[in-house]
Amino acid sequence: MKDDLEIYIRQCMQNDRAGQLKIYQLFSPVLYGICLKYMKNEDDAKDVFQEAFVIAYQKINQYKFEGSFEGWLKRIFINKLIETLNKKKKESFFLDVFDPDTDYVAEEELEIMPVEQEKLLEYIRDLPDQYRMVFNLYVFEKMKHKEISELLNISEGTSKSNLNRAKRILQKRILSIKNFKIA
Amino acid sequence: MKKQNIEEIFSSIEHFSSVPPPELWGQIEEKLNQPKKSKKAIIWWTAAACLLAGLMVPTVLHFNSGADINTLNTNSTNTVVLEEKNSGAVKNNSTNKNTGTESNAVQENTNKQIVNSENDKTKNIDKEAIDKKVIDKKVIEVQNTETATATLENSPEKNNTTKVQNTTIISNTATRTAHSETKKATNRAVFLDIKQTETHSPNQAVAVKANTSKKENNFNDVSKQQMTTVEKNNLNQAVAEQNFTSKATDKVATSSKNSISKKEKELLDKAVAENTFKTKKQKSFNASPEKSISGSVVGEKLNAKNNTTFALNNSNSVLKENENQNKQDQKEINPNFNTIALEKSIADNNSVNNNSKNTSKFGDALSKQDSVQLAELQNLEKGIIVAEVTKEEKEKEDKAVPKSEKWDLGVFAGVANSENYKNEKTLGNVNDSKQSNSYGVKTRYKINKKWAVGSGLKFNELGQSIANVAYMSTKSEATFTQSDYLNQSASAVKPHIANNSNYVFLSNNTKNSFKSNNIQTGNVNQSLKYIEMPLEVSYAVLTLNKASVSLNTGGFVGKLVSNNVSLNGTSIGENIDANDFVYGSVLSSTVQYRVYKKTNVFVEPAMNYYVNPLNNQSFNQFQWGLNFGLNVSF
Repeated sequence: MKDDLEIYIRQCMQNDRAGQLKIYQLFSPVLYGICLKYMKNEDDAKDVFQEAFVIAYQKINQYKFEGSFEGWLKRIFINKLIETLNKKKKESFFLDVFDPDTDYVAEEELEIMPVEQEKLLEYIRDLPDQYRMVFNLYVFEKMKHKEISELLNISEGTSKSNLNRAKRILQKRILSIKNFKIA
Repeated sequence: MKKQNIEEIFSSIEHFSSVPPPELWGQIEEKLNQPKKSKKAIIWWTAAACLLAGLMVPTVLHFNSGADINTLNTNSTNTVVLEEKNSGAVKNNSTNKNTGTESNAVQENTNKQIVNSENDKTKNIDKEAIDKKVIDKKVIEVQNTETATATLENSPEKNNTTKVQNTTIISNTATRTAHSETKKATNRAVFLDIKQTETHSPNQAVAVKANTSKKENNFNDVSKQQMTTVEKNNLNQAVAEQNFTSKATDKVATSSKNSISKKEKELLDKAVAENTFKTKKQKSFNASPEKSISGSVVGEKLNAKNNTTFALNNSNSVLKENENQNKQDQKEINPNFNTIALEKSIADNNSVNNNSKNTSKFGDALSKQDSVQLAELQNLEKGIIVAEVTKEEKEKEDKAVPKSEKWDLGVFAGVANSENYKNEKTLGNVNDSKQSNSYGVKTRYKINKKWAVGSGLKFNELGQSIANVAYMSTKSEATFTQSDYLNQSASAVKPHIANNSNYVFLSNNTKNSFKSNNIQTGNVNQSLKYIEMPLEVSYAVLTLNKASVSLNTGGFVGKLVSNNVSLNGTSIGENIDANDFVYGSVLSSTVQYRVYKKTNVFVEPAMNYYVNPLNNQSFNQFQWGLNFGLNVSF
């Protein structure tokens, strides 16, 4: 499998369509999933998905076969998603100022029933753009607030604040299903 | 039931995946098929480079020759000097009716002429130097052209194919002389390659075309570095391989018209391995060694061992010539054909594409020892290329600027102060600095994290003030006319500072010769307002989280929008001989601090130099400025 992947990558480096298709088939579900998590609607996700894939193919020569190729691809996609979301920053909901009150929100533990993945995805996508971005980067990409702040060009405080607000919103949404109760 | 917090709940979709709609691949494919957009940065760079070059030449010339002219001009052209009676060697007959005294208006046109002639001399010397350079350049060009022509002499006239096969001629009987001559020719080829000399004949154009593919240009850099590191021999290899890098060459290698079939090649390679080189063809080659224009390290290495000379011919001429001979009976492998085949195989195997098949063929063809040597060289070359490419890419990644912040747009306003560094004088009085205001808008495009180019529009004022200028007003003196004082000959009468004939300005030397009640003194303010368009290149010397410091340099073109001379605060007209368009250079430093998101405040100390504000007057040409502004990145 690893050898096959290397062959496909090398084919992509030579702009071979067959190799490009193979890479697409291998990684498109995961990458499309990321796009769906970051973008508010599916159309936007599709757009970013296409553009990011094109960028990945164009920059594939920069991949040095060091580290995971999937990780490399994800990074390209996340950068593209951030760039796209930055362009859409006209939303009035953009709270950029560090709010000390929201810095430490009590992590209420929830007794959970299984929730459909689609439902969770929907809650995330309903978040305001920056909250969603910070939440995704922190929870799914395991980034530190410092990294997030550098990536999004915001302060660390803002990143923390955005994450807490995102969590609160999600908490409310989940509690509203009544499948949960505060422990 | 399990107790979880939000993060844990949502971690279930950490690896969420979803199959994208099938039409998306089609759309991606479509985008991949679209040609790449040309980089805007290249256009910016070209424009900036052209402007800089355009500004540098007159600036340098001005600095070299301007000092003398200006000093003398101060005395000769700014004023019509009224000298004391009998003091001048040249007498004028103009008479003052009121005073009855004779005055000699001396015009120092002669001085000017001397200066001019001196300048002419300097210019002539400069011209000679430039001519010499031009001649040298021409000689080089001629040499190159000759080389290229010589190389292509053997090409069939109708050979207009754009795909050029690089060929090698192998000689078993090469003498030392032939070898050195080949080297010379090779060096010329290096020059030809690097300079990308324009060629005139169709065949030359064909030859050069092989060197213009993008890949090859990338490789040129690598080759150049290789040249410096891998001694003499590699100099030739670099060039040879440079020639072989083009895609066209590979295509030719496989094309039916110009290439020999693989089978034949294999046979021929074997033949080469058996060292069955014939001397017949070599003689013809050695007889005209100048025709070969590139060498190969392979050739050099083999040469050292086998006393053979390898010379790579940069045209398909030999190939063509021999191929024509062999077309009729390709099965028969004659010596000439062997040569061509080896040429082709070496050419193919040396190509940077590193076609593994070709390499293996070549390995078979040559003896083991030679193959090992070749492999070593190729690995060395690969190593260099990979290292270079990796380094470049890393640098590129480091320098990349987020797309969302490529541009910034700002407004600024500030103060400017003109300076008289040359201590120039007008009418014997020192030109003082004059403070003015400037304001404008500017935009900048970041090429990478370090470099940016910028332009904009700026309203600026360049001025000077002269204190205690002696003048006579024809308004107050009913019986006084300007012509009374001045030489009657038209050529001698020159306007002063302003285009107002009611005032006659006197130099310090002459004001004492007049009745004191006729002469007044006052402060003259000269100002020229411009709307300027700068074009600058910026380099970020320091970049912190929120602050940055950059150095900017470039040039500007200004259009004169206001021209004024005032005497004691009252406008008396316009400066004479003011140029409508002015140009100059600018050097500034921007200290920028991010105050909110993408909004920055900046302070910009700057120094402007105006090349030609006024034609026949001394005028402050340097200007210090301090601008404050606000810009937004997007």
